[in-house]
Amino acid sequence: MDKPGVAEKILQQRQRILLFSVFVIATCGLIYELIAGTLASYLLGDSVTQFSTIIGTYLFSMGIGSWLSKYVDDNLLKWFIRIEILVGIVGGCSSPLLFLLFEHIASFRLVLYALVSITGILVGLEIPILMRILKKSVSFKDLVSQVFTFDYIGALLASIIFPLLLVPYFGLMRTSLFFGILNIGVAAFLLYQFQETVRYRKLYISIIMGSIVVLLVGFVYAERIMSYTETLAFQDNVIYSKSTPYQRIVLTKNRRELKLFLNGNLQFSSADEYRYHEALVHPGLQALPHAKSVLILGGGDGLAAREVLKYSNIERITLVDLDPAMTSIFKKNEMLLALNKRSLLSPKVTIINSDAFNWVRANKQLYDFVIIDFPDPSNYSIGKLYSTRFYEELHHLLTDDAIVAIQSTSPLIAKKSYWCINHTLAATGFITLPYHVYVPSFGEWGYVMGMKKYNWKHTDNLPSGLRFVNVTSMKNMFLFPPDMDEVQTDVNRLNNQVLVNYFEDEWAPYIH
Amino acid sequence: MSGRHIYTDMKRREFLKRLFAFTALPAIVSMPSACNDRGSNNKHIKGGIAGANHKTGHLLRNTQHLPAPSETKDVNILIIGGGISGLSARRWLGMHGVDDVLMIEMDSKTGGNSVYGENSITAYPWAAHYLPVPDVQNKELIEFLQSCGVITGYSNGLPVYNDYHLCHDPEERLLIKGYWQEGLVPNFGVPDTEKAQIADFFRHVEEMKLAKGKDNKYAFAIPVDASSADETYRKLDAITFETYLHQQGYNALHLLWYLEYCCKDDYGANLRQTSAWAGLHYFAARKGTAANATGADVLTWPEGNGFLMKALRGNDVGNIITNTLAYKVSIEDNNRIAVYCYDAEKKQSTVVRAQKVIMCTPQYINKHLLQVDNAERDGIYDIASYAPWVVANVTVQHIPEGKGAVLSWDNVVYGRESVGYVRANHQLLKASAQQVITYYLPVVDTNTTAARSKVHNKDYEYWKQYIMGDLEYAHPGITAYVSNIDICVWGHGMIMPSPGYIWSDERRVAQQPIDDKIYFAHTDLSGISIFEEGFYQGIRSAQQIINSL
Ligand SMILES: Cc1cc2nc3c(=O)[nH]c(=O)nc-3n(C[C@H](O)[C@H](O)[C@H](O)COP(=O)(O)OP(=O)(O)OC[C@H]3O[C@@H](n4cnc5c(N)ncnc54)[C@H](O)[C@@H]3O)c2cc1C
Repeated sequence: MDKPGVAEKILQQRQRILLFSVFVIATCGLIYELIAGTLASYLLGDSVTQFSTIIGTYLFSMGIGSWLSKYVDDNLLKWFIRIEILVGIVGGCSSPLLFLLFEHIASFRLVLYALVSITGILVGLEIPILMRILKKSVSFKDLVSQVFTFDYIGALLASIIFPLLLVPYFGLMRTSLFFGILNIGVAAFLLYQFQETVRYRKLYISIIMGSIVVLLVGFVYAERIMSYTETLAFQDNVIYSKSTPYQRIVLTKNRRELKLFLNGNLQFSSADEYRYHEALVHPGLQALPHAKSVLILGGGDGLAAREVLKYSNIERITLVDLDPAMTSIFKKNEMLLALNKRSLLSPKVTIINSDAFNWVRANKQLYDFVIIDFPDPSNYSIGKLYSTRFYEELHHLLTDDAIVAIQSTSPLIAKKSYWCINHTLAATGFITLPYHVYVPSFGEWGYVMGMKKYNWKHTDNLPSGLRFVNVTSMKNMFLFPPDMDEVQTDVNRLNNQVLVNYFEDEWAPYIH
Repeated sequence: MSGRHIYTDMKRREFLKRLFAFTALPAIVSMPSACNDRGSNNKHIKGGIAGANHKTGHLLRNTQHLPAPSETKDVNILIIGGGISGLSARRWLGMHGVDDVLMIEMDSKTGGNSVYGENSITAYPWAAHYLPVPDVQNKELIEFLQSCGVITGYSNGLPVYNDYHLCHDPEERLLIKGYWQEGLVPNFGVPDTEKAQIADFFRHVEEMKLAKGKDNKYAFAIPVDASSADETYRKLDAITFETYLHQQGYNALHLLWYLEYCCKDDYGANLRQTSAWAGLHYFAARKGTAANATGADVLTWPEGNGFLMKALRGNDVGNIITNTLAYKVSIEDNNRIAVYCYDAEKKQSTVVRAQKVIMCTPQYINKHLLQVDNAERDGIYDIASYAPWVVANVTVQHIPEGKGAVLSWDNVVYGRESVGYVRANHQLLKASAQQVITYYLPVVDTNTTAARSKVHNKDYEYWKQYIMGDLEYAHPGITAYVSNIDICVWGHGMIMPSPGYIWSDERRVAQQPIDDKIYFAHTDLSGISIFEEGFYQGIRSAQQIINSL
């Protein structure tokens, strides 16, 4: 074998560097594709459709990129470096950008596909240009074989590390930022290795430095954008999280269901929330065929409102929820709008973002039906919303025939808490009607209805299309087997807050 | 934390815990430097020393510099001082149809030690902030509380208190050995022998609550003047609380800390500055009962006793002149009382001539004001000593919490000079991350004059530093979240019930009217500075006037 000369050595080295670049960019390219697909199925649901349309769009855009490559003529290396930087920025920022925009814009899909297309086009440009650079030194058959070998090895690597290492340990956001940095790293490396770049090196180095800093900052603060630890705290993928002045809102998604957590506590699972919400609304509202106005306290997800809107006799719904962030995302996000059937956008619904206690105290209007859907009384500031004082204030909001329906935690796990709510309501002069249902995600779940005079009745005035509540299932709700039977409790007052203590004691065994 | 359906998503907790060590690292590294050099990095905290009150008061030292009176005014009855005592007297006169009453107050608003401030988050007290559920025997007070909606009705013969006014749970917590325990009586990590002694002390005061003297009056009552004259109990006023506890064999450290905390909290005094009678009174006089509360419960409002103050004053304030200092009180030839007043805003003086005057001012002020020959009163002022206080209202965006009980209404730290802080917005029922906490520091020193010059000589920066140091001790890292600290310095905060004061001749004489013309009402005259005493003092003096008409 001939010993290669110096010139040939240099050529070989260039070749190796460029082939290594192929490997890296191929990995990056597939990673972006996987991120986009995963994100789309997290955020928009229906993973099969999302994944295949994203991959389709991505591949098609790559095709556009390849086609466009013929218009790139002079100074191929400079073009290649330029494209690497662009891919790094666009691909790297794609996932943080999508997470951030998710809550803010209605046409999220448009942004998603636009980003996928741009990344695809840029990635599509990479390989043809690289092949043309290499063409000068390698025979065509070697060129095709080598370039595609590295391309596919890169793809294999990406597809293995993505689900096994990157998503669980890095999270989507950091993965995308990290590969953005790799892409730009390739540009920097080429810039450094190839003498002919010397004329524009300075300018490009500063562009590269700038973009790396941006991506690095994103990488470090990804935690702030979406808490890393939080992603791990939930079994499913966190698709949205936000700390508001009042609470931490987290949405998670898996193939089967979408879940909402407030401060780490499950509020609903899309798989069975219909049981919870139908039971919260229908037993009470079916008994009031003449009801016109409904008040919902809490329930910023619009799911109780969705059930109420099934009654044509209802003319007005007032929904009071503390947190504007809650009602806003449930008014904007497509997936959530599909779940609550756009209930919060109904002209019948008025949303008020205010503290329920003080709002109830100050309000002068009357309601025929009141739904109380507060989080469980796990702390003192929520506990006060289950106090005698609060229920006494409710009286002046009620028409004579009105019914109040209150979500009241689990009568099975938190027997004392449940009956304490019942007794507290009764202590303020309400006639109470306790009932319960089974919600798979929650377990046995309890409610209490309250009214000034006994006017509850069984009717068949139920809207059509209910999945759980019917005349028979409703009858069963009022039967309490011995393990959920009434127990004696204190009454929850502002100056004793016994409910919070019961609740802590009863739920404590389930926390650890 | 718990809630609907906890059981499915907690499986990863363990993993998370292990992971925490790693993920928390960058957070720790990037923590603001405020944590490292505690307290000194507090430039971002705004605020100042509030209230020009004592400055106006200091004019009394050199009244010769005040302008000569340029006007005279005649009234039937003049009340000097718009604190609780004065407002209570004014209310009583009004209720009994006495006309032509005028009140002057040197501060820009009424209230005295029950004034309050307000910001965008909440109203907050500047000193007095609560009233224990009173004894139903205190008829006038019960009637007053009913008139202003604090009592909403009766059930089984007992008053029902307004839920909004009864202090909401969680009420009290104590930071001891790094842990916030519920309640203020030390319990966490306290040895059993000490716990037994604490329990024994509480049994002792329960007995004292019911104890009656030979005259069949309660040994310890509110107002103090309703207490038994029996020497068995009164003689306890001659010794210090410290001596008494020693004699009774109480020596458990945690018990003594707690009792000293109580004396500081109510009297601004330590165990040695409090008479045994007063020390026991703190516990044994509370005989409150209610349909929906107990004698251990308290009534409180965001503005503190400012709520009661407003209720006493009413909305009709036409006959109250604020920003006006009385600087001389004398009896004129025509038997009228001449009160020399200085308007601190207009910077001019007036003479108010009144048939009768009620001086609702503290004794140290009366000493300067009164220019009347009265041999009996000679030397009565010398035995009063006062506890200086520093009170701060702190606006904080977030309170870093340690282990144990959550933020309560009253939050006390074991073994500190201050008596802790109260959460001003506690009764607001509004979800809010921001808090205003009212911080209380009695400046306890055996030499009260030295203590007073200390509080007056230190500047805002000094107090800010001191308070932040104290708050950092309880809540490491809090400095970064504090946005504002306003401070009020009370040089003569409250009368101290030091040994011999309460049952002294001096105190008895100080309450006596002069010539049926000049009457006296102030908590100084009770020896115990609490709302109930001010309320009583006002009624007592007003009733004396009504009886003399
Ligand atoms: C820090 C602190 C905390 C306290 N906390 C509580 C509490 O929680 N609960 C409680 O019950 N009590 C508390 N107190 C006790 C409080 O002092 C009494 O409750 C009550 O407010 C005293 O009212 P008063 O009218 O007797 O006296 P003051 O409040 O002293 O009233 C005297 C009034 O006279 C005015 N005045 C003085 N000199 C003149 C003059 N020359 N001319 C015109 N006006 C003059 C003053 O400005 C003042 O308004 C506290 C006191 C302090 C200092």
